Amino acid sequence: MLAETSYSWGEIRKGLDWSMCAVILLLFVLGLISIYSAGAGARRSTADYAIRQLVWGGVSLLAYVAVLRIGYQSFLRWAYTIYALAFLMLCVLLALGTATRGALSWFRLGSVGFQPAEFGKAALILFLSRFCTRYPPDIPKHLFLALLLSGVMVAMILLQPDLGSALVYGAIIFAILAAADTPPKYLGGITATGIAALPFFWNSLKAYQKLRLVVFLDPYVDPQGAGYNVIQSRIAVGSGGLWGKGFLQGTQGRLHFLPEPHTDFIFSVYAEEFGFVGGVIVILLFAFLFWRLLRAAFRTKDARAKLLCVGVSVWLWFQLMESVAMSMGLAPITGLPMPLFSYGGSSLLMEFVGLALAQSVAISPVRDKLESIT
Amino acid sequence: MYSGLERLDLDKRLLYVRNILIFSLSFLIVGLVYFQLVRADEYVELASGNRLRMIRLLPPRGNIYDANGVPLAVNVRTFDIKSYPMNLRNDEDFEGVASLFARHGIPMTPEGLRESIEKQYVAPYRAVSLATNLTLAQVSDLVMDPDFQHALFPSPVWRRIYPGGSLMAHVIGYVGEITREDLETQRDLYYQGGDIVGKSGVEAVYEEQLRGAVGDQVVEVDSRGRKLRDVNYNDPLKGNDLKLTIDMATQREAARIMEGKRGALVAMNVRDGAVKAFFSSPTYDPNPLTWGISSKEWSALLDDENRPMMNRAMSGSYPPGSPFKVVTATAALMENVADTRTSFFCPGRFQLGNQTFRCWKRSGHGRETLIGAIRDSCDVYFYQVSVKIGIDKLIKWAKELGVGERTGIDLPGESRGTIAGREWKRARRKEAWYQGDTVNYSIGQGFLLMTPLQLARMYAAFANGGRLVTPRLNSEKPPESVQLRITKAHMDSIRTGLREVARAGTGRVAGRYGVEVAGKTGTAQNPHGEDHASFVGYAPADDPEYVVAVLVEAGGSGSSVAGPLAGQMLAYLVEHGK
Repeated sequence: MLAETSYSWGEIRKGLDWSMCAVILLLFVLGLISIYSAGAGARRSTADYAIRQLVWGGVSLLAYVAVLRIGYQSFLRWAYTIYALAFLMLCVLLALGTATRGALSWFRLGSVGFQPAEFGKAALILFLSRFCTRYPPDIPKHLFLALLLSGVMVAMILLQPDLGSALVYGAIIFAILAAADTPPKYLGGITATGIAALPFFWNSLKAYQKLRLVVFLDPYVDPQGAGYNVIQSRIAVGSGGLWGKGFLQGTQGRLHFLPEPHTDFIFSVYAEEFGFVGGVIVILLFAFLFWRLLRAAFRTKDARAKLLCVGVSVWLWFQLMESVAMSMGLAPITGLPMPLFSYGGSSLLMEFVGLALAQSVAISPVRDKLESIT
Repeated sequence: MYSGLERLDLDKRLLYVRNILIFSLSFLIVGLVYFQLVRADEYVELASGNRLRMIRLLPPRGNIYDANGVPLAVNVRTFDIKSYPMNLRNDEDFEGVASLFARHGIPMTPEGLRESIEKQYVAPYRAVSLATNLTLAQVSDLVMDPDFQHALFPSPVWRRIYPGGSLMAHVIGYVGEITREDLETQRDLYYQGGDIVGKSGVEAVYEEQLRGAVGDQVVEVDSRGRKLRDVNYNDPLKGNDLKLTIDMATQREAARIMEGKRGALVAMNVRDGAVKAFFSSPTYDPNPLTWGISSKEWSALLDDENRPMMNRAMSGSYPPGSPFKVVTATAALMENVADTRTSFFCPGRFQLGNQTFRCWKRSGHGRETLIGAIRDSCDVYFYQVSVKIGIDKLIKWAKELGVGERTGIDLPGESRGTIAGREWKRARRKEAWYQGDTVNYSIGQGFLLMTPLQLARMYAAFANGGRLVTPRLNSEKPPESVQLRITKAHMDSIRTGLREVARAGTGRVAGRYGVEVAGKTGTAQNPHGEDHASFVGYAPADDPEYVVAVLVEAGGSGSSVAGPLAGQMLAYLVEHGK
């Protein structure tokens, strides 16, 4: 049964999009360099974070290969189960969080933490890809069902509360629905409903979340707290100039003017040291990655796989846009990781899994060809 | 199979998605052009002389008062000299500051300075304290010095003082700078290096309530590091005050009573566990500890052979001696080994196999019943019943009366004592429990160890009719107690015995201070020297309000040494209606 949908090493080698692999690896290495730089602060020089990220990179690579072997079809076959599992994990987390009276977004096992919200992103993409293919959302009933079933997951994330991840989920849902040929008037309706709900949404925000949104508009409102971070991050990026200050020469990140330099503000660290040129290179690398991801979507005949590639692309795209724009103070601080760059085990692992699913789609036409020969 | 969407052509939509994703990235590039190319110079300037500085403002701690509102711990204003780590980088900076301080009588070495900054360091723009506890005069003197660098600035801070000095040291404890280990293990991430925390006593137990909330000041400085203006100011929030059950006047009386002796005195309300006096002698002055003492003075304090830092009232474990006999009596009555009419003959010694156990009265007490045996503290009576009770049942009742467990007083570092027993002996001594051990146990000797506070709590239970109360120092903490499973009639019998002690028995001296006392003397063998003298009792005997436990290390006889001390304390408490 597994053999039907799994891929042999030969097939993988033949169908693999090598350029996509190279870009992923290159971005990961650039991220690793930035994490090292962020960790090598003026006070405690440590490569701790970089080493741990490297270990996670190894784990993620294994997962990547495993997903390629298994093949995306098997994952789609189990999509509903995986989705239910992710939902269950979030429920357990919420229950535990209520028990300890704190916001909880981690499962902790010793020093290794796991964020179900990250797992949920991949689960959501698998689920929607299969569901929207079986029940095309051009019929209101189907659209409503798709929104309802994916909406409960978003609700769980919002309850955590993890605003940033909820936005990523929203972007993924919207993009897959749009790609699945939802009529424009329905898409417009969803957008309008979202805008109309904004005032209610604003009222439900915690004070610190509101503050983060306000300082994005005017960082000098709170130059000590959240606004201070925006100002300092902008100084980091801006002072990088055309060529940057050079590896390990950035003062903003290393002198701890930047909060969380190895996670939230990793792009600021990078942009300070590698400047405009470095920044543009990273953005172009991501552009290339998106192009290759969607190229796989064009080439496959499987509608589910097309939607899957869209989901993965939009997931990474949204987090990239958000974290780079945030580093320049052009978007509010949400604490979303920059894909392939930010320090963090579960986010890196799940990004690799998502990318492997898309790579698997890229490999799949190999079989069609082989079949047509025999 | 997937007939649904297959009929549609998705590639048109895919094209849209791809174009949006890829072209939207140009928005990011436009941002980078603006900040990194157009406005780069401006930001390079800002980065090179990052102009924002932060100062952590420590709040005054909550005050601690005694039961009548007498201040026991308060704050005074002093001054710190602060600076930013970014202004102190090379050796010359350190040497310059150290010599400036030295010239004005503040001892300081460049190495010490470096160490202290390292400990407080958070970020280069966050102020650290270089010198602490300066008076206004010292500060103005320093500032007038032409060498006073622009990177230094004075900042007012709160310092803790203890008006009661050594009198309340073991209750209040003291505060001090947080240690590196504490910083690394803290759970709520509230503290930073240089912060003040409660190190012992009430200061430590009620730290969260007393500490308040820190404030923050953000200032903009010029290129030479001088303050231009406040960018932001968050007031620090004073901690909550604390009112204790203890009473300064009673404590002073306790200190007077215990003067020149080594030991402890505990006084407590028998009904609600409110501690009225809690004195461990000798004591120490917590004020220098708070203001910072040299390591030499510190080790002198720790190495002092009288161990003034040790809280003997709850951390000192002693063989309880005769006051423990009420436990044996309870076990005898509750296990039906004896009733009030059962009598045993005391010939002055007790023979168990080839071992001989002596009564303290060599000539013997003759025939004794329970009440008489308590009154006369007849050892042989308790030897005989203990053999019949057996160690397991004896320990069961000891446990019931709180032996071997912490009393739960709101102070850190309380000892459990040792309840011993079969398993304990096997684990510790690799030996079986012998009947001779039980005999020793019955009169509070042998392996058994208790704190004076445990004894006070146990006697409070007899005084209040059978409730084991939890001692408390915080007046706002609700009283807690556990109802004991001891028959009331049996308790009354034991109370009669305790009353006889002060009327006609070994504790007669304790009853000579104007109030009718009930209690028990103790003269416990001390392997390290002369006997420990103790008295545990309560007053007034017929309607008890206060319990007092006194222990004098190597004091000699319980009846002549400890009895009068407890008698004085009880008389004082009842007379003054504390």
